[in-house]
Amino acid sequence: MQGKEIRLQGVSMRFGDFIAVHETDLTIAAGEFFSILGPSGCGKTTILRMISGFLTPTTGQVLIGGKDLTAVGPNKRPTALIFQNLALFPLMSVWENVAFGLEARGIGRRERRKRAEDLLDLVALTEHAGKKPTALSGGQRQRVAIARALAVEPSVLLLDEPLSALDLKLRQHMRAELKQIQRKTGVTFVYITHDQGEALTMSDRIAVMNAGRIEQVAPTSEIYNAPATSFVATFVGEHNVFRGRVEGLENGMAQVNTPLGRLLGMNRDDLKPGEEAMIFVRPERIGLVSQTPTLGNRLQAAVERRDLEGPYLNVFMRAGEHQIVMHMTNAGNNVSDLSGEQSVGFACEDALVLRAGELAGE
Amino acid sequence: MSSLIRSYGGVLAALFGGLTLLWIIGLIVLPQLNMIQRAFIWEARDGAAQQAGVDLERAYQKIATLDYDIRAAKRDIERGSAPSAAPSPSDPFAVSPGAPSPGGLASSETPDKRIVRLESERTELQGQINPLKERFGRLKIEEAEASGYSIKNFTTMSPLHWRIFGMTIFYAFCVTLLSFLFCYPIAYTIARTQKEIHVAFFMLGIIIPYALNELLRIFAWTMILANEGILNSALDTLGLIDLESGEAIRWLASNGAVFCVLMYTYILFMIFPMYNTIETLDKNQIEAARDLGASTWRIHSRVVIPHAKPGIAVGAIMTFMLSAGSISVPGLVGPGLHPDWFSQIIYRNFFEAGNWNIGAAQSLLLLVACTIFILIVLRFFRVGIQEIAR
Ligand SMILES: Nc1ncnc2c1ncn2[C@@H]1O[C@H](COP(=O)(O)OP(=O)(O)OP(=O)(O)O)[C@@H](O)[C@H]1O
Ligand SMILES: [Mg+2]
Repeated sequence: MQGKEIRLQGVSMRFGDFIAVHETDLTIAAGEFFSILGPSGCGKTTILRMISGFLTPTTGQVLIGGKDLTAVGPNKRPTALIFQNLALFPLMSVWENVAFGLEARGIGRRERRKRAEDLLDLVALTEHAGKKPTALSGGQRQRVAIARALAVEPSVLLLDEPLSALDLKLRQHMRAELKQIQRKTGVTFVYITHDQGEALTMSDRIAVMNAGRIEQVAPTSEIYNAPATSFVATFVGEHNVFRGRVEGLENGMAQVNTPLGRLLGMNRDDLKPGEEAMIFVRPERIGLVSQTPTLGNRLQAAVERRDLEGPYLNVFMRAGEHQIVMHMTNAGNNVSDLSGEQSVGFACEDALVLRAGELAGE
Repeated sequence: MSSLIRSYGGVLAALFGGLTLLWIIGLIVLPQLNMIQRAFIWEARDGAAQQAGVDLERAYQKIATLDYDIRAAKRDIERGSAPSAAPSPSDPFAVSPGAPSPGGLASSETPDKRIVRLESERTELQGQINPLKERFGRLKIEEAEASGYSIKNFTTMSPLHWRIFGMTIFYAFCVTLLSFLFCYPIAYTIARTQKEIHVAFFMLGIIIPYALNELLRIFAWTMILANEGILNSALDTLGLIDLESGEAIRWLASNGAVFCVLMYTYILFMIFPMYNTIETLDKNQIEAARDLGASTWRIHSRVVIPHAKPGIAVGAIMTFMLSAGSISVPGLVGPGLHPDWFSQIIYRNFFEAGNWNIGAAQSLLLLVACTIFILIVLRFFRVGIQEIAR
């Protein structure tokens, strides 16, 4: 099996008056583990269905391995889709499920059985070959679906939130397993999820989508550390947000006038003075001035609540209209006696100034 | 039952149970048992006893006529007038061979002579009555002795009727098969239709004809298929045939027409169960099969039809039983169709010839055939009764 490159050129999808996916250009490299991350209803499944061939884009082309397959049906594409609900065939045994794609290609029964067993080996289900899928556990069914998709030796495996039905423990286990299968087979994985943890742990690169548009495509660390838009910043991980207007610029930084005073942050969007801006700080980058006196931006805030979450402590504070969240590492002695007015702050390098825009979860 | 008691209390549950039992016994078990019993009772009818009965009846009638004539003659005497010219009410059919009645020819006789002659005729007949009665009674007893439990009702069925029975089963099977082939795409299309409003329209279109009386629905077909009917007129308009020169195609009274109308009549019973099962099929399974490279044919044969099996089985069983037992369709669409369908023969035995026992035997045959068909279908589709009940 060899992965193939996927290229979307000016692809958009419209259902009646509703535009589910706006014009999009996207290239997914051969053999990459690529995730599409976004809230429910943002068009992730629609993109996946255009790649698999179940939907014909309203505009644009879908190229797989350099070939334009826009008008080619799903049964003729080198892709295999793993459905959100798996869609195993309940009346066939596990091995027949896995061998179904081979059956459709007219391969003899004995050969089918052998190939199916090899694949069941790969997903560690050899002894369940004769069972019906309903007799398996959620994780086992998951692996049957993967084996069934791999049986047709696809160049591209498309996965539509395949883990969403599993419990947390199993989900974490399956993440590792999926990643391993991807490495073993070298197939291009396009993985859809609305769970950022899943996307961040498994993927090489992530595309973050919102309302039919891809907001950012970048390697995982960049998505987390250098979000390109206000939506990505708030959708991936947590952020404290302060709104304001740019007042001045100084060597790559922007000074933003907020209701809580002047705050300084990295001017990633090259904003000019006078423009609406938002300044983003991760909760783990906020600290107490009493512990770190060098912090460039300072605020006065009143502690409202403290939640101990094992390794770290979430401190919820109020400063004027704003709620501020601070994560402190649990070092044993620093977490017990935090209350009242506190002076908190963050370094200018840890703050991000972006053009004012939509936030996730609003 | 225990859950019934729990939810409705003892009294109501007993009432429900009792009513159900009553219904089952009164409307299903007893009539069936009666029919099965009749099927195995042979009623000998060689005609001799019947003939004797008829002869006896005639003798009685004849005597009554003579009595009337005698009374009329006596009245004439009393009045002393000439004999009336009134024709004798003698029944010409009742004349028995050895006693020709002179009837109106006797007008020249005197009333006295006439009475004497009639009296002697009457005495002669009176003498015949007893032997006739005896003969009738003897034959009756003989017949009753020949009757009783036996399988003669089956073994004496004519080869023609057996053939008709076989053909009817075969026809019903054909109708079922055709109906399945015709209804499956419809059921599939409706089940896969996304817009509720479209589904509603489909359903309405299929159900509305059923608001019409069954006979009217069938009769509508005879209007379409008649020689001067809609279909032939349409063909005439298209110039394919020429009605004026008598080129009308004879659609009616053919098995094809009966098949077609039967399919139409019972279409709902095929579509509904299939629709219901196909509708529950996860759309993703169809897409998954397609994504794995399956052709349309394979998708249906491996995914859709296996899933729809219980519905197909129910539809096939219902259509088969209704077609095998239908009398209105072959009766209305195929008048003059030869040979009849088996159900028509049963009908005639029951309601025209009065041979209830033979009719019962034939119904039992049909019942057995249908039961066998059901078992075969269930086995063929490998579905259990429980699955169908689902
Ligand atoms: N066939 C369709 N007809 C009309 N609208 C559709 C159709 N399919 C999808 N949509 C709309 O397009 C939008 C995107 O749908 P899509 O299924 O791609 O969302 P998603 O990102 O996969 O969401 P989820 O995470 O909930 O699965 C939704 O608002 C949906 O209502
Ligand atoms: Mg989706």
